[in-house]
Amino acid sequence: MKGGIPIKFINAQNVAIIIFFIGFYGLCARRNVIKTIISLGIMSGGVILYFVSVNRQENSIPPMVGDIPGVYADPLPQALVITAIVVGISVTAVALIMFISMYHTYGTTNWLKIRKMLNERKQK
Amino acid sequence: MILYFFIFVPIIVGTVVYLIPGKMTKILAFLLQGLMLALAIYNFINVVSNGDIVQVIGSNLSITGITLVCDKISAALLILTTFIFFICFLFGLLDKFVNNLFIFLFIILQALIIGIFLTRDLFNIYVLVEVSTIIVSVLIMFKKDSVSLYDGMVYFISNIAAMTLFLFGVAILYKTFGVLDIDVIKVKMQFVEDTRSLILPFGLMMTGIGLKCAFLPLFSWLPKAHATASAPSIVSVILSALYVKGGIYLFIRIADMYKPAINIDWVFLTIGIMTSLFGIVLAFSQKDIKLILAYHTVSQLGLILTGLSMGTVSSYYGGLLHIFNHAMFKSVLFLCAGIIIDHYKTRDVYEIRNVFKNMPLVSIAMIMAILGITGAPFFNGSVSKYLIQGGAKNISLNAIIIIINLGTVISFIKVATIFKGKEKTMNVSVKWYKKTAVLIIGSMCLLMGLGGPVLVRTLFDYQLQMSFLVYIEKLMVYVFSLAGGYLLYSRLIRKLKFVKQGLSIDLGVNEISIAMLAFFVFLSFTTYLSLI
Repeated sequence: MKGGIPIKFINAQNVAIIIFFIGFYGLCARRNVIKTIISLGIMSGGVILYFVSVNRQENSIPPMVGDIPGVYADPLPQALVITAIVVGISVTAVALIMFISMYHTYGTTNWLKIRKMLNERKQK
Repeated sequence: MILYFFIFVPIIVGTVVYLIPGKMTKILAFLLQGLMLALAIYNFINVVSNGDIVQVIGSNLSITGITLVCDKISAALLILTTFIFFICFLFGLLDKFVNNLFIFLFIILQALIIGIFLTRDLFNIYVLVEVSTIIVSVLIMFKKDSVSLYDGMVYFISNIAAMTLFLFGVAILYKTFGVLDIDVIKVKMQFVEDTRSLILPFGLMMTGIGLKCAFLPLFSWLPKAHATASAPSIVSVILSALYVKGGIYLFIRIADMYKPAINIDWVFLTIGIMTSLFGIVLAFSQKDIKLILAYHTVSQLGLILTGLSMGTVSSYYGGLLHIFNHAMFKSVLFLCAGIIIDHYKTRDVYEIRNVFKNMPLVSIAMIMAILGITGAPFFNGSVSKYLIQGGAKNISLNAIIIIINLGTVISFIKVATIFKGKEKTMNVSVKWYKKTAVLIIGSMCLLMGLGGPVLVRTLFDYQLQMSFLVYIEKLMVYVFSLAGGYLLYSRLIRKLKFVKQGLSIDLGVNEISIAMLAFFVFLSFTTYLSLI
C-alpha cells in the first residue's frame, strides 16, 4: 500500500473514538444551543458504535438456548446498547424541550447572547 | 431484607401518588418517607449484626447478573438519604409550589440516589445517574423563571456530557475485562499485563465522576445549580447534601476498583487541596447567602477528597465521616437560609440583619450548624476534621488543613453577621413544622459530635481516642482560629476589592467542556507518568 492509513486501522472502534471526539469538539467550540445538543447525540453515537463492535467475532451466531454448534456472539453489549440508545433519545428529547422553553424566554439560540442578557439583568 | 424494596417501592408509590388527586397524596408521600426511614434503620442494624447483604438480579452469579450490595457504608448512606428526604418532606410538604408533579419527581430522585448507593454494576450506575440528572434539572427549573432555565440547562448539558465520557470509559473497560461488576473487575485488575491500556478508561471515567464531584476546574456548574435564585430550598438541600455525595461515593468505588493497577493518590490530594482553597476564596467573596453556602459545598468536597486520598487509614475514615457530617450541617444551613430569604425577601448577607431576635429557634439551629461546619469541639465537624488531621503525615499538610478550616471560619463569620443588628424587630411567624424540621436536624449536628467515637467504631471498626486533653486542645485551637478568623475578616478581607464587589466565575457550556477536556488530558498524562 502506498501512503495513507493502513486498512487495518479503519475499524469500528477507531472510527467510534474519532466520532466521539468530534462530538466533544462540538461541545467545546459551538455556540449554538441546538448544535450543542446535536454534539451530545454524536458523542453518544460514538459510544454506541464502540459498544456494538466490542468483542465482535467473525461468523458468530446468535446466543440461543439449545445445542447449536459454533461460536456465540456476546449478548451483553447488544442489551446495553439498546438501553443506551433509549437513554440517549430521552436525553435529546428533554434537552430539546428545555431549549424550547429557553428560546421562548430569551429569543436566541446563542449561549453567549443568553449569558449577556443574564448579566445585564443582574446589573439592573 | 430485600434491597430492591428501597429502589422499587418509592418508584411505584411515586407513580401512584402522581395519579391520585387531592390531599391524600401528601399524606401518602409522608407515610412513605416514615416507612423508608424505619426500614433503613432496620436494614442498618441487620447489616451491622449479620454482615453484608448481596443480591444478584438476573442470574445466580455476580459476573453475569446485576449486583446490589449493602455494606455498612451503604447502609449508613441509606439512613442518611431517607432521613434527609424525611426532613425535607416535613419542611416543605405544605408549601404552595409542592404539587403532585413535584412529589413524584422528588420521590423518584430518592429511589435513584438509593440505587446509586447500592448498585455495583457500572452500566447500572450510568443509567441511574443519567435519569437522576434529568430529574434534578427539571427540579432546578421547577419555577420556570429565566435564570433558573439557563442554570438548569447548563447543569443538564454539562452533566450529560460527563456521563457520556463515563459510559465511554465503561465501554473500553468492558472490552478489556468482559464484565461490568465493580468487585469482579477489581479482582481481575491485578492480572492486567499492560496497565497502560487502562489509562484511557481511567481518564474518561474519572473525568465524568470528577465533574459530578465538582473537582477543581469542573465545579462551576455547582453553585449555579445549587443556589439558583428561584429553586426551592429543599431542592438545594437534596442537591448539596445528598446528590453530590453520590458522586463522591462513585469516586470512592471507582478509585478503589482501579487501585490494584493505577494508584495516583497524590494527584487527587493536590486536586482536593486546590479545590477546597479555591472554594473558600470564592465562598467568602460572595454577597448572596445561598451562593456562599454553595461555594462552601465545593470547598468541603475538596476537603473530603483530601481526606480520602491522603493515604492513611485515619484520614480516609475522616473523609468518609465528613460525607455524613457535611450532609447534616449543609441541610440545616440551606433550610434556614430558605426561611430567612422568604421572610426578608433578599439574599444579600449585608442587608439581612437582626435574625436572632426575629427567629430565635431558627437561629439556634443555624448556629449549631455553623459550629458544626467550623469544627467546634463537641460538634460533628470536629470529629471528622480531627480524623483527617490525624492522618496528615507532615507539617505542611497539617498547615494546609488548618488554613482550610480558617477559611471556613472566615466565611461563616461573614454569614454570622446576619444574626445581630440594630434594626427594629419584625413580627415574624415561622410555621411550626419548619422549626421542628430545622431543629431536629440541627440537634443531629450536636448528637453526631458527641457520639462521634461510637459512630466511628460502628461504621469503620476504628478506635478513635478522644481524651479530655484532646478536647481541651481542640477547644484552644478553635478559639484561636475563631479570633484569628474574626481579625482577618474585619481588618483585611472585608476591605479587599474583590470581596466588596463579589467575585464570580461564570463558565458557559463551552468553557465547561474545555475544562473537562483539559482535566481529561491532565489526568491521563499524570497516570501515564505514574505507570512508566
